[in-house]
Amino acid sequence: MRSFRRTYLWGSILLVGANGFALLIPWLLKRAVESLQFPGRAGHSAGYFGLLIVGAAIAHGVVRVFSRTTLLHVGRRIEYRIREDLYSALLSLDLPYFSGERTGDILSRFSNDLTNVRMLVGFGFLNVINTVIVYISALLLMGRIDPFLTFCSVLPYPLMLILVKQVSRRIFVHSKRAQEELAAMTSHAEESIAASVVVKTYRREESRIGIFRELAEKYLFSSMKMTNLRGIVIPFMASMSGLGTLIVLFVGGNRVISGVMTLGDFVAFTGYLAMLVWPTVVLGWILNLLQRGAASMARLNAVLDAKAMVAESPSPVAPESVRGELELRGLSFGYNGEPLLKDISLRIKAGMNLGIVGPVGSGKTTLVRLIARLYPVADGMIFLDGTDINRLPLKGLRDVIGFVPQESFLFSRTIRENIAYGKEGATDEEVKEASRLSRLDGDVEGFPAGYETLVGERGVTLSGGQKQRTAIARALLKDPAILILDDPLSAVDARTEEEILAGLARYYGGRTALIVSHRLSALRGCDRIIVMDEGRIAEQGTHDELIALGGRYAAIHREQNLRAEIDRY
Amino acid sequence: MHFGGIYEDEIVGKAYDRRLLARFLRYLRPYRWLVVWSILLLPFIAAAKLAQPWLLKIAIDSHITAGRMEGLPLLSLGYFALILADGLLTYLEIYLLQYLGQRVMFDLRVELFAHIQRLSASFFDRTPTGGLVTRVTSDVEALGEMFTAGIISIVGDILVLVGIIGIMLWMNLKLSLVTFTVLPVLLYIVFAFRTRMRTAFREVRARLSNLNSFLAESIGGMTVVQLFNRQQTERREFTRLNAAYRDANLPVITWDAALFAAVEALSSVAVGLIIWYGGGEIISGTLTFGALVAFIQYIEKFFSPIRDLSAKYSIMQGAMAALERIFGLLDKEKIPPSPPAPLPPGEGGRRPGEEIQPPIQTIEFRDVWFAYNGEDYVLKGLNLTIRRGEKIALVGETGGGKTTVTRLLSRLYEVERGEITIDGTDIRSIPLGELRSRIGVVLQEPFLFTGTVGYNISLGDDAAQGRMEAAAALVGADRFIRNLAGGFEEEVRERGSNFSVGERQLISFARAVAFDPEILVLDEATASVDSASERLIQEGLRGLLSGRTSLVVAHRLSTVRDADRIVVIHKGEKAEEGSHDELIARQGLYYRLYQLQFRD
Repeated sequence: MRSFRRTYLWGSILLVGANGFALLIPWLLKRAVESLQFPGRAGHSAGYFGLLIVGAAIAHGVVRVFSRTTLLHVGRRIEYRIREDLYSALLSLDLPYFSGERTGDILSRFSNDLTNVRMLVGFGFLNVINTVIVYISALLLMGRIDPFLTFCSVLPYPLMLILVKQVSRRIFVHSKRAQEELAAMTSHAEESIAASVVVKTYRREESRIGIFRELAEKYLFSSMKMTNLRGIVIPFMASMSGLGTLIVLFVGGNRVISGVMTLGDFVAFTGYLAMLVWPTVVLGWILNLLQRGAASMARLNAVLDAKAMVAESPSPVAPESVRGELELRGLSFGYNGEPLLKDISLRIKAGMNLGIVGPVGSGKTTLVRLIARLYPVADGMIFLDGTDINRLPLKGLRDVIGFVPQESFLFSRTIRENIAYGKEGATDEEVKEASRLSRLDGDVEGFPAGYETLVGERGVTLSGGQKQRTAIARALLKDPAILILDDPLSAVDARTEEEILAGLARYYGGRTALIVSHRLSALRGCDRIIVMDEGRIAEQGTHDELIALGGRYAAIHREQNLRAEIDRY
Repeated sequence: MHFGGIYEDEIVGKAYDRRLLARFLRYLRPYRWLVVWSILLLPFIAAAKLAQPWLLKIAIDSHITAGRMEGLPLLSLGYFALILADGLLTYLEIYLLQYLGQRVMFDLRVELFAHIQRLSASFFDRTPTGGLVTRVTSDVEALGEMFTAGIISIVGDILVLVGIIGIMLWMNLKLSLVTFTVLPVLLYIVFAFRTRMRTAFREVRARLSNLNSFLAESIGGMTVVQLFNRQQTERREFTRLNAAYRDANLPVITWDAALFAAVEALSSVAVGLIIWYGGGEIISGTLTFGALVAFIQYIEKFFSPIRDLSAKYSIMQGAMAALERIFGLLDKEKIPPSPPAPLPPGEGGRRPGEEIQPPIQTIEFRDVWFAYNGEDYVLKGLNLTIRRGEKIALVGETGGGKTTVTRLLSRLYEVERGEITIDGTDIRSIPLGELRSRIGVVLQEPFLFTGTVGYNISLGDDAAQGRMEAAAALVGADRFIRNLAGGFEEEVRERGSNFSVGERQLISFARAVAFDPEILVLDEATASVDSASERLIQEGLRGLLSGRTSLVVAHRLSTVRDADRIVVIHKGEKAEEGSHDELIARQGLYYRLYQLQFRD
């Protein structure tokens, strides 16, 4: 903000200039009228003053443009700065933060709250300064013409200010209420449409329409209330400024007749008085803007000051090279008071392929997410090559992990860009190689635009399987020491999944791989498989060992064979 | 790097479309008196505005310069009265127009919503909810603007402009003509600037929308960004979009300030002209001081309507585009497109629309075929009979067509080939309301509405309201409802998020019982739930199904065990049928499904 101080100062100087020219015009008008009334005395002809008025008007226009653009541009520049800061804050925040906040709320801070703040630092500042300048100078000039008349004519103005402030406060209140009612109506519509099947099967169409009608009616009335408030200001303002004019006309007219004032004075006076109306109205409005802006700034600060739970270690140790050996020592983890993982100890040697199975909610995803430190983990629980992962630099840890999440998230960019996301500056060859490994290449070659195909918002133009394979290709391109696949192939059929994973087996090489899947067939090639249940490791061993054990793994295995049998039936 | 997703929601349409407006005029008919009054007010407002400078002229000419005090107080009061009248009438006009606008918006909104509610289920498969909600909210809102700043106020503006031109010409022809020389410049500036501003503003909106979609995506994909350590790339791109948005805004500010300044300057130029030319006339005695001042005031009143004219043009464009979309939706078909099947005479066939007599004895599916899209058949010639008092369980693999059976029976979708009959009558010839009141459907995913628990059971139906407590007791929902602080009045949040899965199921069971259907169609939830919820649901089901003819898509052991008959649907066809014991003994498909799905 400090860096904008000079701009503010410059803008304020320009404002003084613009107002100077504006105030010149009524005075020139006065001189013109005087020269017409007493042709000999003024020294110049009316035409001369007419010309000066044109000159002053043009000068006023030019300086006004500069003053407004200077100050309003500052508002936009400050908005830009704050938005940058907000985004930086978001980039440093972690999964626990984002699961606690709704995307809509965050977006609303970026738009509504930021707009309120911008209004204050741009428009608000400009008009406060402007009002001060106009008031001081116009009052001085009017006072020079006639102090008594000045006093009488500005009497209604404080009232005007109070009125606008009151009404605009109520407008804010009611507009908030109207917004809430609009939101209620919108969510009723949204809900009724989303639940159209329920509404239809219970024949509740008329009843839903009835409720909608009520909500729409409420909204109608609060909108009318707003209109009414906005509208009522007009006759009030008119009568206030009219009162001022009445006083000028009556008292001033009297003084002209009695010779205290000239007709030119009278004309100039009316001009100055008219200049006060708008700044008064705006000031009343801005006084409320202050409150809103402060409230909005507080909401923005809440984001700017938010702290990530997954924090960088104060003394990070960067390893020289990573072999990829992982060790979990009594790993327990809970979230929102709910224990998700309980005392898990496991050693995953470098280059080992570990399969993870288990029912929904058994902790598979939590386990792999903790390894990538997506959630905060306590010290002394997870070690990479013997170093506590909390002591590794966050960037370094994530650089060595290729993570394919359950829900493959694609950016609305091209396929190539989505795959190349895995590695800064990836070549086309690398992109093609990665998509060959994840068996995406065949699909992409079928697209008219090939790798330049835009995938649409969140990848809507791709099938579920294509999205998942794109996400895998992205992780493979990263060339990580540890590859984590969190059930990323649920949307392809069992045979394709097996094929893709078999193809990957060659890629693994010396890499450590953690593969979560709900299909056992996909894990057959793993060196070791763990079966998770309610946050614990229930069984572990190779496929054959686990089958021989005859426990949960064997039961799931039987089930999946049956399913395959039914499918063939 | 360039990130795609250019999103342009730009209105480039006509500002005036006779066809659309003619159709829209019908919505004004109930309020024609409001329209008449708001138009009748316009000349009075114009008169109040136009008379003010005139009065000032009289005050100056016949009193102030003439030195006559008497009459000045009265004139001053008259001037004040005019200002007041102008304000009050403008307020009244705004109020009338707003009231008219809000009323019309309300009517249109309710009509749209009612229309959407009556559209067929298949329509919702094709149309995203968001778009429909937008029609009801923002599009209707855009129409509202047409009332505040649209046609009628344009008429008012034109009235004032014509009035000013007339008076000025009448007051002093030559001076008027000299003054009017600024008009072509004014019009040129206003329209040239507005065109620039529109382009600039379009740019702003496009960039804002890019920025917002990038931001929304970024928040959604933050985990990916962080996992791939791409914060710097994203920040760079964000900065680029953010700067682009800022830079797009700057010219809008400049153009806006320039337009304002140019119009003000021009109006002062006009004043200068009046002084220069009028000054000569005053000296030669053809013009009075009062007339000069009045001239200056008229020219000031002349400029602001012209400044706003092109903004109003954009509003009209927006309104026309909204009307087009709204009428487009209203023209969408209401009922499923297929015509009622012709009934063979004799065979108990009845005229379409005739009511079926209670109680229903048999429901038959005869060679039913159905596809959601094209030739991709989900059901391929299904035959099925349900007799009064029976409990039928439908079992089979996911995607086999079980849920489709329930949807067809309640005519959410229409059979493509074959027919479904109730006591011999094709269901397509039974009134939809009648059919659905006799066949109750419980969906797999219980949907709870925002409101109270009670509302979610009765859905606002009086008869159901009466049976609400008994229904809750029957399915065992009363126990947890009684423990709620508000009981049946307890608040339900959006999508029922403050209730467990089991509780949501029970509320939806109680809803089905409260509507007391003759035949119950139930799609059991497959989602795995915690054991407490499971127990709740098991008990609830027993109450729900007791003593009722029912067709259940079964996922639970207890349900298949209790069924009178089990029908195995496999790949769109009926594969096996019989009692649990019979089917187990057969060691066929059911035997395997049983081991797979019902071993609990």
